[in-house]
Amino acid sequence: MTLGYLISLEQINQLSLTDRQREEIIAFFAARDAELERLYRFDTADTERMVHVMPIMTVVREDKAVQLFTREALQAAAPETDEGYWCVPRVLE
Amino acid sequence: MKYETVIGLEVHVELATDSKIFCSCSAGSYGTEPNMHVCPACCGMPGMLPVVNKRVIDFGMKAGMMLNCHINRTTTFDKKNYYYPDLPSAFQTTQWFAPIAVKGLVEIKTSTGKKGIRIKQIHMEEDAGKLVHDIREDTTHIDFNRTSVPLIEIVSEPDLSSAEEVEAYLDRLKTLLRYARVAECEMAHGTMRCDVNLSVRPEGSNVLGVRSEMKNMNSIEAIKRAIDYETFRHIDAIENGTEELVQETRRWDDIKGMSFAMRTKETAGDYRYFPDPNVMPVVIDDKWYDGIKSSLPEFPEVRFERYTTELGLSEYDARRLTESIALCECFEAACKVTGNPKDCVNWITSEVMSILGVRGITYDQLKLDGNALGELIKLVSDSKVSRVNGRKILDAMFDDGTVSPAEYAASEGLIISTDTDLIDKVVAEVVAADPKSVADYKGGKEKALMALFGKCMRQLKGNCDPQVLRKALIAKINE
Ligand SMILES: [Zn+2]
Repeated sequence: MTLGYLISLEQINQLSLTDRQREEIIAFFAARDAELERLYRFDTADTERMVHVMPIMTVVREDKAVQLFTREALQAAAPETDEGYWCVPRVLE
Repeated sequence: MKYETVIGLEVHVELATDSKIFCSCSAGSYGTEPNMHVCPACCGMPGMLPVVNKRVIDFGMKAGMMLNCHINRTTTFDKKNYYYPDLPSAFQTTQWFAPIAVKGLVEIKTSTGKKGIRIKQIHMEEDAGKLVHDIREDTTHIDFNRTSVPLIEIVSEPDLSSAEEVEAYLDRLKTLLRYARVAECEMAHGTMRCDVNLSVRPEGSNVLGVRSEMKNMNSIEAIKRAIDYETFRHIDAIENGTEELVQETRRWDDIKGMSFAMRTKETAGDYRYFPDPNVMPVVIDDKWYDGIKSSLPEFPEVRFERYTTELGLSEYDARRLTESIALCECFEAACKVTGNPKDCVNWITSEVMSILGVRGITYDQLKLDGNALGELIKLVSDSKVSRVNGRKILDAMFDDGTVSPAEYAASEGLIISTDTDLIDKVVAEVVAADPKSVADYKGGKEKALMALFGKCMRQLKGNCDPQVLRKALIAKINE
């Protein structure tokens, strides 16, 4: 993170930071970069790829159809409906 | 120069589950009123969390195994982002990084012989809603019944090279998935849809040409016409410079018989795929995997072989039965009861198929209990029930799946009478009441006997062995 890049980000996000805040942010990213550098030094060529970062798995449910909501309830807050459909401004097919 | 067509298919198949993939709404939306099978989850309302339907994973695994794929024992879901009103959450939950099945092979047969088509992967995902554009001019109407209905997408390698091969491949997918009972695969119902990727290259070259993609094709005939048209368009562009080919998505207009550019093809990056933080990985343990593996059906050609060699069926009959696994299972159960395969195949290809036809039921939808059919066939072959009354009982079994043929025959008075006193009594009455027919028969008119025979049979409600009745009748006339 450079000062020039940070200032351009400030402009996009309509922020105005003090010089002290800028220094802190640049120092924060510099520390992260140093940590990443250290991580990259590990040789992971023989490490098996993980599918997920945590050893957790989903629960599954039985395949049983239950209708818990009515159309009327779900469409109560809709800006516009017609013959049971939700309506949106026309889109091209 | 000679060219060859290189085709890869992405086939979307709607899985035949009862409920949707991530919520409990009914997945059977065909022909229902709009937005009857919806809930906050499949309408993409904020804060709703998905819960995976186990049977979707079962079916994904089954499909993978039927197509000789490797099954990823840990499989994950990812978000694919795009913004369109048919997708209320603005992302589709699909599989990108670790799909359920990879690296498969499907063998097809065409006029030029056998060929293996490699399967790149099968992934599970949710369907999008339906947009209706023609109700009113100023708005688009949305039906979310179909959102989150489970699909698998079967992605082939670009191993297909003609319309004939594509047809054979789609037929084969349909057969295998129907046999495993994971999907209906009916293009006319939208339960099977197909994206066709096509390019051409000089024959023998191993460099792929510029590729165009035609989305959402839903009839084999249209696909074949589109392939022929696109092949011609690509070759014409290369040979004659009629246009510059670009990688793009095209729309096939089957009425005009032409394809039209829709948009330049998106790349994967445009969809910003990322692991769905709301669905944890699905881990398939050995018990789950083995359970699915052992539930797989015998392949149709293995059955065909067994029916023609071991059971002695004709190739014609074996082919008719193996059209549908429901017919096969009914047949095999009936055979166990009767021990007579030929009798069983006759009943199925005549009476059962005729009732299915009359009632508009497909072979795959057959729910007839094969054991009960076997009992019925036995009643008829043991001369306890006449064939005509057997058909009546079969009809009753279709009306009510719990009907037992023997009990029904007894309660409806359809058991053939062995009571010779009763037969003699009926014959005596009929003969006495119709002296003209008796005289005609004695005068040499064979037809007159049939009239008398019919009258007796009617009085006996069909419950009589025709040979026994005929004998008794002739004996009485000649008395
Ligand atoms: Zn729902």
